[in-house]
Amino acid sequence: ENKHEEKVQNPNREEDKTKAEMGSKTWADLAGEMKMFLWNPEERTCLGRTAKSWGLILLFYFIFYTCLAGMFAFCMYVMLLTLSPYTPTYRDRVSPPGVMIRPYLNGFTIAFNISQPSTWQPYVDSMHHFLAAYDDKVQEEKNIECVSGQYFIQGGNESEEKKACQFKRSLLQNCSGIEDPTFGYSKGQPCIGEAARPWHCISYKPGCLLFLQIIGYRPGAGVPVSVDCKVQKGNESNLRSVDFYPGNGTFDLMYYPYYGKMTHVNYTSPLVAMHFTDVKKNYLVPIQCSLNGKGIINDVNSDRFLGRIIFTLSIGK
Amino acid sequence: IQDDHKLSTLELEEKYGTSINKGLSSARAAEILARDGPNSLTPPKATPEIVKFLKQMVGGFSILLWIGAVFSWISFGIQLAQGAESPFDNLYLGVVLALVVILTGIFAYYQEAKSTNIMASFSKMIPQQALVIRDAEKKELSADQLVVGDIVEIKGGDRIPADIRLIFSQGCKVDNSSLTGESEPQPRSCDFTHENPLETRNIAFYSTTCVEGTATGIVINTGDRTVIGRIASLASRVGNEKTPIAIEIEHFVYLVAGVAISIGVLFFIISVSMRYKILDSIIFLIGIIVANVPEGLLATVTVSLSLTAKRMAKKNCLVKNLEAVETLGSTSIICSDKTGTLTQNRMTVAHLWFDNQIYSADTSEDQTTQPFDQSSPSWTALSKIVTLCNRAEFRPGQENFPIMKRVVVGDASETALLKFAEVILGDVMNIRARNKKVAEIPFNSTNKFQLSIHETDDPNDKRFLLVMKGAPERILERCSTIMINGKEEPLDSEKAEAFQTAYMELGGMGERVLGFCHLYLPENEFPDTYPFDTDSMNFPTSNLCFVGLLSMIDPPRSTVPDAVSKCRSAGIKVIMVTGDHPITAKAIAKSVGIISATSETVEDIAKRLNIPVEQVNRREATAAVVNGMELKDMSLQQLDEILCNHSEIVFARTSPQQKLVIVEGCQRQGAVVAVTGDGVNDSPALKKADIGIAMGIAGSDAAKNAADMVLLDDNFASIVTGVEEGRLIFDNLKKTIAYTLTKNIAELCPFLIYIIASIPMPIGTITILFIDLGTDIIPSVALAYEKAESDIMNRRPRNKKKDRLVNEQLAVYSYLQIGIMQSVGAFVTYFTVYAEQGFLPSTLLGVRVDWENNAINDFEDSYGQEWTKYQRMYLQWTGYTAFFVSITIQQVADLIIRKTRRNSIFQQGLFRNKVIWVGIFSQIGIALILTYGLGHVTALNFTPLRFQYWFVAVPFAVLIWVYDEVRKLFIRRYPGSWWDKNMYY
Repeated sequence: ENKHEEKVQNPNREEDKTKAEMGSKTWADLAGEMKMFLWNPEERTCLGRTAKSWGLILLFYFIFYTCLAGMFAFCMYVMLLTLSPYTPTYRDRVSPPGVMIRPYLNGFTIAFNISQPSTWQPYVDSMHHFLAAYDDKVQEEKNIECVSGQYFIQGGNESEEKKACQFKRSLLQNCSGIEDPTFGYSKGQPCIGEAARPWHCISYKPGCLLFLQIIGYRPGAGVPVSVDCKVQKGNESNLRSVDFYPGNGTFDLMYYPYYGKMTHVNYTSPLVAMHFTDVKKNYLVPIQCSLNGKGIINDVNSDRFLGRIIFTLSIGK
Repeated sequence: IQDDHKLSTLELEEKYGTSINKGLSSARAAEILARDGPNSLTPPKATPEIVKFLKQMVGGFSILLWIGAVFSWISFGIQLAQGAESPFDNLYLGVVLALVVILTGIFAYYQEAKSTNIMASFSKMIPQQALVIRDAEKKELSADQLVVGDIVEIKGGDRIPADIRLIFSQGCKVDNSSLTGESEPQPRSCDFTHENPLETRNIAFYSTTCVEGTATGIVINTGDRTVIGRIASLASRVGNEKTPIAIEIEHFVYLVAGVAISIGVLFFIISVSMRYKILDSIIFLIGIIVANVPEGLLATVTVSLSLTAKRMAKKNCLVKNLEAVETLGSTSIICSDKTGTLTQNRMTVAHLWFDNQIYSADTSEDQTTQPFDQSSPSWTALSKIVTLCNRAEFRPGQENFPIMKRVVVGDASETALLKFAEVILGDVMNIRARNKKVAEIPFNSTNKFQLSIHETDDPNDKRFLLVMKGAPERILERCSTIMINGKEEPLDSEKAEAFQTAYMELGGMGERVLGFCHLYLPENEFPDTYPFDTDSMNFPTSNLCFVGLLSMIDPPRSTVPDAVSKCRSAGIKVIMVTGDHPITAKAIAKSVGIISATSETVEDIAKRLNIPVEQVNRREATAAVVNGMELKDMSLQQLDEILCNHSEIVFARTSPQQKLVIVEGCQRQGAVVAVTGDGVNDSPALKKADIGIAMGIAGSDAAKNAADMVLLDDNFASIVTGVEEGRLIFDNLKKTIAYTLTKNIAELCPFLIYIIASIPMPIGTITILFIDLGTDIIPSVALAYEKAESDIMNRRPRNKKKDRLVNEQLAVYSYLQIGIMQSVGAFVTYFTVYAEQGFLPSTLLGVRVDWENNAINDFEDSYGQEWTKYQRMYLQWTGYTAFFVSITIQQVADLIIRKTRRNSIFQQGLFRNKVIWVGIFSQIGIALILTYGLGHVTALNFTPLRFQYWFVAVPFAVLIWVYDEVRKLFIRRYPGSWWDKNMYY
């Protein structure tokens, strides 16, 4: 008889259900349902699963993910095995070389007032810090002297440690910060109408080093790559003269090729220092310094650091 | 309330400014037409196109994408204000997202419009014509041009073109069944017989049919103001229920959106607490949303549904509402009409009784011969009566048509007899010509017989032959002998008993029985020149010789029993709802299997056990035949009880209104109900049903408007093929969704790892869109062509509360298993690309800030090489491309595993679904084009990838395949196990 009663009640219950489905659920109902879902004390289920069920499913996923992680690790291991520790498999994306300047503090604008040391002191500190690795003593201690004007090609086993050529700070002469610890930032204070003498280093590290060794790539194909600077936009006369060190702004061939971090441990990238001796003052002067040489690309629009660098000088009194 | 039925003709002429002889003038008619509008039912108020369009723009995932687009624009604005280097990236991203929404919206709108158009063109196919008197001339006009006051003429077979007050009638009868449910034709005259305009005889109603006779009348109501129009507009107020698939898709959208938003918000919080800038965090959020949202999926679902709709249209199911395609698949109860749907809608001779024996005739649709024994001379006599005592004739010019298809002038029974005779004897008209008719008394309701007297075709026999047919008991009364094996024998009580038994048996089968007798008039009393007079009946009409009985029925369509048994094995309950007599209804139900051979109704049990009906245990009866009168007095509970307790139900003598009650009753049981109908009054039930199925041939426009589907051939069997397609598409949509969801994880993981491990971005937002809307689209549509894995018609209909389209197992298996595998595979490729270019995985970790810094142009890799920003970006795009290619490759494996959910791929056949291969080739083709063809367009962030990177993820693709095969193997091996419960989706 019970059964019969149940049947009679059934339609009402169904109706309630449909009503609920039609979205007229109250928030209290919803909260209650949620609570029940989170923890159902009758069936002892949490989020619809009993402890045993949770245990099983977690165990399954633990095993599953462990296996997957194992497979990942194995694939990565195999992949890494195929790599040489000395030279990357492909170097096509990193050459031709890009260019960077020092000092580099917050972007590519160098602005200071000669009369206010606090405005240029950070640049000076940055330079000293950067050039510390080029101190003559350090260089003499670690590196050898090479024959200028030709590539320093070191054959032998790939894994052998490679020697690096000395690049002494003193080569930068006026820009070395040895004679003038302010790198010219403070100079010209008395002679106001004249150019200030800040300077910049262009560091230039070619990328593809072993590649050079095999094929005999030479930056500039035997002729050293040189640097020149000009006003990027505006009046040419804003930048009247620039001095380059060393060797009129060339990167000596003996510093190439680079054999990579692993074997070429003490390699110090050669630098070119630029001495802007006559720049229009109290004026934003956009300057572009480019590398020139065979195989160097310096006119790509999308990459403004490829073979060239653009920065702004603003020197106040 | 109108009182036109009370007015005299003159008053009417005055009221409507018309003249009975001349009709309205064209000018006046045009005026009224302009005032009242055309004489057609306003289709249910259509949603304005712009609203439909906007709905597509904000429905589904669109909101999420709009949010993404708005965020992109906001961050563009902020970056622009801050003077960042490349603010336009975000502007473009926003534009692309907006475009995606708009384009998919337009696409969905177009698809919907297309299916609506099919319907629109369909309903315009047969414009109704009306014969009108205007400007004192008779004109054929399109019925929708009729206006109040027009004088129209109708004749037998016409549909009444408007509500008409009759002013002249000759033997006019109308079939009001679509309005009142009365199946008997109602006589119509010019007399005012009843106060109620619905009951009076001098009004004929719009959309009813004139069965016979002719009439002329004044149009008193047109269009929506007609009685039918008012009912139809009532029907349009019955709310449209959401289709099951719409509910499922909504559920799925909520699920995915929930995942997207919770992961998005979670990682927004994480990234903020990891001290990312708010702006960056917002951009991550956009990426996460875009990765999570399957942009192309809803379009794919639409395409899949419309493909199925097309397939169904080929099988004579025209689907008006795309979503109804699936509804049919989840149907658990079909409430079917009898006449025309289950039956052929044509009287056919089903049984014969002569020589004390019952013979069955072939009742199939395309009979060309009759197999029963025709050697007895009794049959020869009977066939002669059948042929001669018949006024029906074939319309001329149909000699080349199959007999069953020829149009006959005459009533249903005579037509049946004519065709029956034509099939067996051939050229009936010739036989009649050779046996010239000399006198005839047509059938009338007082005599209940039809009689004719013929010359015989035997030149040696100068006797006249009197043939008679009619109600069997009346015929028997007039007989004194009976023909047995060609010999006349006296009709004793034993033979009369045999006749009674046969008559009862045939009547019990719900068949209309006719008796046949004849008499050869003696030559001496009735010579050649004898003047037969039918009024005085100067010839014998008693002491005739009884020859036999013929019974006729509207036989079931030959495909129906099979279709019903298919429904039965598919767990679908078929309920017959008819206006017919319970005995006929039950007989047809039995013959098509709606009531199976072994099951009994309460009445049957009572009869068998010889106890009163009240004492029978109602639960023992599986079948029930419910009379409309009983239904009227039933409470809802009682109805529910019947629907619950009996698996085989026939509702007889029901009015169309009761249909609605029955449908609601079924829906209270939680069933998905399909209803077939053709009358205007069916339209509320059609609307109320989860899927309303209108008859394409017999159906009224109102029914077609209210329905979701139109059966072009009015055949019940077409519904079953529709059910099959509907179930298949549900399964296949599951596969499509599983396929599509999987790669979302592979698109999402990069963002999460990027945020947490600060590696260079593995995949770009634009790239993700190229997967979702590019490579993945055709394959996911291809899954709609997948064949069923097992006999889907042997399964119960899905439980709409439990068997969800996207269930927990599907989401978990796609997201947490296959999706993660794909991510791992793609990351292997990603790390390989970076490592081979000089960035070992260890270097990449935590590198994000410097990596993305525009000012750092001497970024050192693991080998000491220094990279400019652009060089890094280019490498990053190469990474995107590699990730993209890996996902594509693994999606090929994903596509193959999704072909089946339970069977092995090898059981299903790798090559049976050719479209899958089209999908795979398109997928790879698009990827190739993007990578190598568009690899130089930097805005798309694709680069020409080294060819070997296409194969890095192949082991993982193979792993996915093998793993899924193992999954399916365990599911097949251990049904009901933990594995089955957790892994079968």
